Amino acid sequence: MDSPIPAVEIKNLVKDFKTSFRKQMLRAVDGVSIRIMPGEVYGLIGPNGSGKSTTMKALLGLVAPTAGQCAIFGKDSLKVDSRNDVGFLPENPYFYKHLSGAETLRFYGKLCGLKGKTLDARVSELLALVDLEGARDRRLGGYSKGMLQRIGLAQALVQEPRLVILDEPTAGVDPIGSRQIRDLILKLKEQGITVFLCSHLLEQVQEVCDHVGIIFRGRMVKEGKLDDLIAIEDQTEIVLKDASPELLSQITALIENSKGTTLIRTGKPRTTLERLFLRETTNREDQP
Amino acid sequence: MTAKTDHTTHGSHLGRILVIAFHAFTQLVRMKVFYFLAVFAVIAIASNFFDLPQHEGPEAEGINVLRSIKSWSLGTMTLFSVVLSIVATALLLPKDVEDRTLYTILAKPVPRIDYLAGKLLGVLLLVFVSLALMDVLMTGVLQIRSSMVLDQQLAMAHSLGWPPAAIESLRAETALHGPSWSLQGAVFAVFLRASIMASLALLISTFSSSTLFTTIISFLIYFIGHFQADARDAYLQAGQAGEGIFARMATLVISLVMPDFQNFNVIDAVIEGQAMPILILGKLTLIGLYYALFFTVASWFVFAEKEF
Amino acid sequence: MKTWQRNGILAVAVLLFGAARLPFEAGLSKELRDAGLTSLPMQIGTREKIGQTSSAVALGGLRTLVATFLNLRAFTFFQEQRWADVADTFDTIVDLAPRTRYYWETGSWHSAYNAASYFINDSKLPPLRRREAWRDSILRGRAFLERGIKNNPNDWSLLANLGFLLSDTNKISAFRSPEKTFAAAADAYTRSAATGKALPYVKRSALYSLARVTGEEKNALALARSLYAEQSNRTPTLTILLLVLEAFENPNLDTAARANELFKTPEKAYDALSGHWQRTRERFPVYGIAKGLEALEKTLNITAEKSIFTQPPPPQFDEDRWFSQ
Repeated sequence: MDSPIPAVEIKNLVKDFKTSFRKQMLRAVDGVSIRIMPGEVYGLIGPNGSGKSTTMKALLGLVAPTAGQCAIFGKDSLKVDSRNDVGFLPENPYFYKHLSGAETLRFYGKLCGLKGKTLDARVSELLALVDLEGARDRRLGGYSKGMLQRIGLAQALVQEPRLVILDEPTAGVDPIGSRQIRDLILKLKEQGITVFLCSHLLEQVQEVCDHVGIIFRGRMVKEGKLDDLIAIEDQTEIVLKDASPELLSQITALIENSKGTTLIRTGKPRTTLERLFLRETTNREDQP
Repeated sequence: MTAKTDHTTHGSHLGRILVIAFHAFTQLVRMKVFYFLAVFAVIAIASNFFDLPQHEGPEAEGINVLRSIKSWSLGTMTLFSVVLSIVATALLLPKDVEDRTLYTILAKPVPRIDYLAGKLLGVLLLVFVSLALMDVLMTGVLQIRSSMVLDQQLAMAHSLGWPPAAIESLRAETALHGPSWSLQGAVFAVFLRASIMASLALLISTFSSSTLFTTIISFLIYFIGHFQADARDAYLQAGQAGEGIFARMATLVISLVMPDFQNFNVIDAVIEGQAMPILILGKLTLIGLYYALFFTVASWFVFAEKEF
Repeated sequence: MKTWQRNGILAVAVLLFGAARLPFEAGLSKELRDAGLTSLPMQIGTREKIGQTSSAVALGGLRTLVATFLNLRAFTFFQEQRWADVADTFDTIVDLAPRTRYYWETGSWHSAYNAASYFINDSKLPPLRRREAWRDSILRGRAFLERGIKNNPNDWSLLANLGFLLSDTNKISAFRSPEKTFAAAADAYTRSAATGKALPYVKRSALYSLARVTGEEKNALALARSLYAEQSNRTPTLTILLLVLEAFENPNLDTAARANELFKTPEKAYDALSGHWQRTRERFPVYGIAKGLEALEKTLNITAEKSIFTQPPPPQFDEDRWFSQ
């Protein structure tokens, strides 16, 4: 069987920027290589200024590499037709405020060559997907941040791309909106669409991505399957429900008797603040 | 909804350009600034319907008032169209960059030249529509006033007992100063001049990311362009007066770089009642097209390598 | 490709593009000037030119608008009687709007009529200087009008205005040779009529001037006859001049009888002839008038006291008197 074409192939990407007065170049990306296979959800994480956005822009042809190559499904990023297969949601996007949700999607759809009934159907489909049907005729100027991110995601999907690139998709969004976006990403994953995202919000990356790359000062310092990377190799977790104290003391005794194994901790696992928040703020019976 | 394995979305260049153009048009039209500008221009032209102080004074009688109406209207149109072309073009690109909407557009399969051509076309569409509306207004006012003037003059001629031949020639002369095809040609020439400025502003805005800078430089070039013909004449005839090499270089650079706006003074001739030959209008159109195409391609040359 | 290389290529492209379109634009400029649609740059200083063009650009690139404003300014100068400023302003105005008849006519009017009249009464200058100034204004007015005609060769009104100025006997002494001036007036009127757009009076005025040029009586008579053929042309002056020229051609003509024919009754004939006899100021020829008047006085039994020959002549055009105080 032929090996499938990688969705994203970045080979030894180097990008230098000129700083204003000094002759010295600033090396924003220093020999980064990333390969994302179709169907994966890849998270690129790193501190501010580590080169995440630059890498994404190089992949989209918004920035030309000083050295190295970028390709999307085998097509060179510097060529326009590589963008047939990709949808991009930039960080903090401001779409044209004077357009409504539906008009925005129609605009981008027409840019991709969609027209007529196909376009209309696609717009409705996308609005349903991102749960913005109620606001389809409202101007984007009146959208909340979460709604803007969702319409942004819809716009990225307008031409049914095989790859979606998301730059900080949940930045500044409240937990409810965040969850919605995360659910959408998972839905995309289910449909086999490759997702390449970068984020500061590590917990969310953890929930959604199956591959992760850590970039620091322009260099890739760690990369691989998420599960492999964060599993603490030498620890095991067992979570019990309705365990009686007798059972617990039996297990504790068992552990003490086996060689080489140490009991690290027992107690009640904590839920996350996020789950508490969501439980308290959505679908409450005492709300109007 | 599944991801297609082999997906090709082919739009046409023209299709994309038109989408961007129409979008730029609606974006500009909804900007309050241009709204006020347009209202002002319309008032300025419509005011010619009444007898205002600008119509009094030594020139007020007969066909002179028609000339006054024409020069005020065309002056308003010129000012409006040049300001609109420069400012609208100057703010389109920086706005997209600042708002980051540029990324979303360029991340789609949209060639950069389509983007530039679309923006320029949107501005030109706006200028064209505005001028057309102002033209309709001006022609209407002029038609009414010139028939008023004609009635006055015919009444006077009849009371003085002029022979029919003289009355005919009076009618013909007044008609010359009223609405005519040459006047429409003059309005089109105003449009052409504005188009040249718009495409120039596009080129400059690809260099600079500041709307203000682009606007100032464009106005400066507009101003100097009125002297280009003099510089050109000076260069072509120089050498006899023994001018310095510096003066020669300066006039050469001005001649080559600046557009010649003096040729558009033909608009003045039309206001004075001359006819504009269709050939001249054709040549001016060719010049306009030449500039627009060159500047768009040059803009693309700069913009294609620009990084965001 | 490095940025400076790209910019270099762009700069070269702009220059080449400029070089390519330069001949086309220069050609179009020439074409427009030849067609008279734009004007040849006048010999005014660079600074003035920049001032003009800046105002033009500021006013939406329209020179005609600048002309309008300058006209208002010139009007103010006129009201303040600042004649040099009026003349200068009009020079600029016609540079901006050379095809507008109104400006040429008004400019020359200010010079030849308003300024000239002013100098007749201006007590600030000594008499000799006043006379010189008066003369000078009239000559300038003529020159200005002639310039306007050069720019607008088919304009009947400018030509007619020139004819009017040159045949104005209040001003004729400003010119060196009255004969030549009347001839020039006739020529101007004739050219005006030749445009085909002139009003009917222009042809008649051509005759009035031609009749006052010695040596042209034959042509004048032919003209008078052709004009007289049309009923609408039979003004009193024309009729009388026809009579006078016929008397010149035929010294034996019975002027009184012909006058009766032309004017229908002896009373009307006598009125016409005596009116013409008194019209000394305008230097019309009077061949045969005296003879006719004598005969008509006999016919009408006009006494010696009431005879036209004993009436005091009308006041003379005495410019020496004007300029002697």
